[in-house]
Order: sequence, then C-alpha cells, then structure tokens
Amino acid sequence: MDILGRILMVEDDPKDVELTLTALGDYNLTNEVVVVHDGEEALNYLYRRGNFAARSNENPAVLLLDLKLPKVDGLEVLQQMKSDETLKMIPVVVLTSSREERDMVASYKLGVNAYVVKPVDFHEFVNAIKELGMFWAIINEPPPGSMRKK
Amino acid sequence: MAKQKPSLLKVHLPIQGYGLAVVSVGVALGTGLLLQRYSFHGVESLLFLFAIALTVWFGGSGPAVLAVALSSLAFNYFFTEPFYSLYIGTSELPYYFAFILFAILLTWFSTVRRRVERELLQSRDELQSEVAERTQQANLLNLTHDTIFVRDTSDIITYWNRGAQELYGWTAEQALGKHSHQLMQTEFPISIDEVHAQLLRAGRWEGELRKTKADGSRVVVASRWSLRRDERGHAVAILETNNDVSDRKRREEEIRKLNDELRKRTTDLEATNRELEAFAYSVSHDLRAPIRHIVGYTELLQKNSSSALDEKSQRYMMTILESAKKMGTLIDDLLAFSRIGRAETRATTVNLDLLVKEALGEVQQDTNGRNIAWNVGALPELYGDRSMLRLALVNLISNAVKFTRTRPRAEIEIGCLEKNKDEVVVFIRDNGVGFDMKYVDKLFGVFRRLHSTQAFEGTGIGLATVHRIIHRHGGRVWAEGLVDSGATFFLAVPSHRS
Repeated sequence: MDILGRILMVEDDPKDVELTLTALGDYNLTNEVVVVHDGEEALNYLYRRGNFAARSNENPAVLLLDLKLPKVDGLEVLQQMKSDETLKMIPVVVLTSSREERDMVASYKLGVNAYVVKPVDFHEFVNAIKELGMFWAIINEPPPGSMRKK
Repeated sequence: MAKQKPSLLKVHLPIQGYGLAVVSVGVALGTGLLLQRYSFHGVESLLFLFAIALTVWFGGSGPAVLAVALSSLAFNYFFTEPFYSLYIGTSELPYYFAFILFAILLTWFSTVRRRVERELLQSRDELQSEVAERTQQANLLNLTHDTIFVRDTSDIITYWNRGAQELYGWTAEQALGKHSHQLMQTEFPISIDEVHAQLLRAGRWEGELRKTKADGSRVVVASRWSLRRDERGHAVAILETNNDVSDRKRREEEIRKLNDELRKRTTDLEATNRELEAFAYSVSHDLRAPIRHIVGYTELLQKNSSSALDEKSQRYMMTILESAKKMGTLIDDLLAFSRIGRAETRATTVNLDLLVKEALGEVQQDTNGRNIAWNVGALPELYGDRSMLRLALVNLISNAVKFTRTRPRAEIEIGCLEKNKDEVVVFIRDNGVGFDMKYVDKLFGVFRRLHSTQAFEGTGIGLATVHRIIHRHGGRVWAEGLVDSGATFFLAVPSHRS
C-alpha cells in the first residue's frame, strides 16, 4: 500500500473524523492525514505491520490521538510509543472529549507533547484543529526520520 | 519473737531459794517436833524428804544442798540417839544417803521438767506470733479491693476476701467450704486439665474466665492463679485473684462492631465513589461527543445551505445550536461540580486578600462597561484548599456582578464579620435583584434557579458548587436577601487546621 501522510489521526468516531478533516481542509492538509480507527491499527501503522507492512519507513510528523479507543486505548498507544526508541520522538497530541484530570495527568506523565480538549463550540473546534494542524504539520520542524512535506 | 514469759513455778532470786530451804526444813522440823510431842514417831524422815523435795523443785540445786545439809543436821540433832547431839551413828547413815539421793533425783527431774517447760513455752510463743502474723496478712488481703480467694487442691474455698464478696456477692461464711467452680459456674477458655497441667508445671496460670455472680449475672474476669506448695513440694492450695473486665470486654466488642460497620461503610462508599467516577468519566467522554457532533454538523449545514434556507429555518437552526451549546455547558458545569466531590483537598493557609483579588481578575470581562462600586474590606487568612476556595469566591462574585446588571450603579461589598477563634465569616453583599427569603432553602441546590434564563443566564450549578466546596471544608454557607433589595452571601470557614 502506498499511503503517505504526515499526520496520523487515531479516532474511532467517523463523525469526529469528518469534522476534523473538514477543519484541516482549510489549510489543504486533508490529504496529509492518515486515519486509523483504533489503538491496534495505530500501532500496526507505526510498526509497519499488517495492512501497513508495505508503507515507507518514515514516521509521521505528528500523531493526533483520541484516548477512548476500541481494543487498545490511547494511553496504551502513548505508553508503547514513548517506551520505544524509534517512536518516542514522534510528537503526540492528545485530542479528546474528556477534561478529566486523571487522563491529563496520565498523558503528561507518559510524555505527551500537547493535550487538547475538543470544544463543543464548532468554531472553537475548527480553530483548535486548524491551529494544531498548522503548528505541527507546517511550523514545527519534525524530528529526523519523519515524512517531509510533499 | 515474743518475750519469754516468766514461769510461775520457779523461784528466781537465789536468796529466795535458800530462804525456801531454811523455811521448809524449819517447818519440817517444827512439824516433826510437834508430832513427837504427841508420841507420833517415824514420819520425821519423810517430812525432811518432803522439805528437800519442795526446795529442789522450786529452788534449784544450790538451795537443795542447803536443804539436805540442814535436814541432816536437824534429823541428827533432834531425832537420832543420842538426842540433842551431833554424833552420827552408822545406823543413821542410810537416812543421809536417802536425803542426798532423793535430792539428786529430784534435781534431775526438775531439770528435765524445766527444759521441757521451756521448750513448750518457746513453741507456744512461736505459734502465737505466727498466728498473729497470718491474721495480719489475712486482714491486709481483706483490705484490698481486688478479688482474692484461696482453695485447696479439691477446689474447696478456704479463704474468701472482701473483694471477692464485693464482686460475686457471697460472704466469706457463704463461700467457705464450697466448691469454687461449682459455686461460680466457671467457664474455661481451654479445658480445665490443660489449666491444671500448666499450673502444676509453671506454678501459675492466667486467663480470662466467665463466672456467675450470686445474683445470677455473668461476669468476665481476668484471672490469675498461683499454686502454693508445702516443704515437700506437694500442692496444697491455689490462690486466685480476679479482675472484672466485663466492661472492658463489652467496650471492646462495641468498638469491634463499630469498626466492622465503619469498614463496611467505607467499602460501600469507596464502591459508590468508584461508580460515580466511572459515571463522570463516561459522561465526560461519551456525552460531550454527540453534543459536539450536533453543533458541528449544524454549523456545517448552516454554512453550506444558508442561502437556501428561509428565515424561519435559519431560526430553527440557531435554536438547535443554542440548545446543544447549553447542553455542553451544563455537562461541563456538572462535571466540574462532581469533580469537587471527588478531588482531594490540599489544605494550606490561604491569604484571603490575595484570593479575592484573583477572583476579581477572573470576573473582569463581565464587568466591562459596567458601573460597579467595589468595597473590599480587610480580609483575614484562613485554612483550606486554595483553588477550591477561589472557585467558590469566583462563583459568588460573578453572581453579584450578574444580579446587579439591572442597576445603574452596582454596589458590591466584600468583607469579614467579626472573627472568632475558630472560624472566619466572609460575606459578599450586593444591591442587585435579591431573592425571596421563602426560597432560601432552594438556593444552594443543583440546577435550582430563582430567575428565568431569559432574565439571567446560568445553569444553576454555581451556588451548589459553592455549597459543596464550603461543606468539604467543614464550613457553612448561608444567604440573606430581599426581593429587589440585594442579597448577602456568607461563608464560614475554619480559620486554622482542626
């Protein structure tokens, strides 16, 4: 498979996927987004296993991670990434519905790079996603070994 | 040891002994001469022997020699021929030998008798003093409040002190001679054979026993047994002391029950808390997402089809958006409210002046364009969780700002009532729309509102949050108000660590 993308989005809810992609569309970042729907798929992508065995060996520039996911949840994905030498440099942004302090503390302890609570207000949501996309995919210089902008 | 008592049968001074010798021989001589006068012959020697015997018995050996000498002289002089001369004929010699032998024999008897008498006296005195000592000890045992009794090896009670009478209700007369375990219906924690084995091995035993008093009531005693042995090592008696521990046992039992109950309730509470937390977590994740989707898709719909929709449809769309956002705010507020109950409090000394300044900063954007006269008095320090107290103040101050909106000139006063030793009472007074005191009870309930949302926006969680925060601090919160004449909210919070 030849899937290229600098933003890996891990999100199980298709509506959230659509809304996020809509928001990213404004910066023409939509095509750079790879969407996976649970933690297991995310790890398969990162380790180039299963469906993603054939992808190029570059890492995504940023990972947008939901916490509540089927099979393997977001915190487990985060933990595995941050304890793996080849993956720990990938910036991870937690993008979640929850404002629970427990999740926030756990995420930061595991070394998350940013923690964003999805706002209910759509304008705020769009702004947040746009800024995230712009910062991590355009402004931020990703670590060596990441996919470059096409 | 008691002083040795003088014998009544013994003459003590030597002079008395010798006197006795002279007097008794004299009396024997006189009696002999008197009898001779009435021609009653042949008893003189017996009279002298009697005199010697008397002297020996009561006077000792010295006077005995004198008595023998005097008797011999008198007998020789008055009763042997030739009369009235000291000539000693061979036929008289057996008399003198008899006197001497008799004296020696009696002296020996007397010595033996005295020794026996002395020994008897000594042992009597020893016995008396021991009896006195024992009696004193028994009296002392009787004085103590502790329950003490003694039983022999067949468990028959042989001693019963006053403490035993007080505890069990039987007098010594009633208890003595009774079988101890039968009288008190003793219940042993282990078999009585084991108790006896231990008692014989170690000489003592202690444990808790259940016994029955004279009035039939049960009692738990801490019992100590000591074994008394004779010189040959045979067990002869058991001394038992008892302390009534029924009250202590009862209290221990009560404490144990209370602890069990507490443990159970804590477990229940922990389970409830976990459920609540899971619920809040689920609400936080799962309830917010659909709201976001409603808002998101409605916005997208509005954006894509605004030209195609008429004014009425536009309004419907706006209503959907407003309702969804309101739902979002409610969920957020409710989660924040539940978080207060679940979060750990981190209590420190808090400078209230500083806290009020911060709270004022937080509500500043709501005061833009308003004419508000702030009157903030001197505020003390108090003890509590800083961020929670701050949230409470922000809620109260923003309420004051909100409900004075209709006033051309709002007046908001923040101050401290006269402070007593244990708590600080802070008040926030405004000249806003106030409230009817008959609804004061509903003021602090969740989702309780006294105004319509049209007049004053809000979710009805603010004051419930304040109430919960202050309650978690062990404080009180109350309000006074009058319709159209403003409201005052009071917070009483402990001023120091309890």
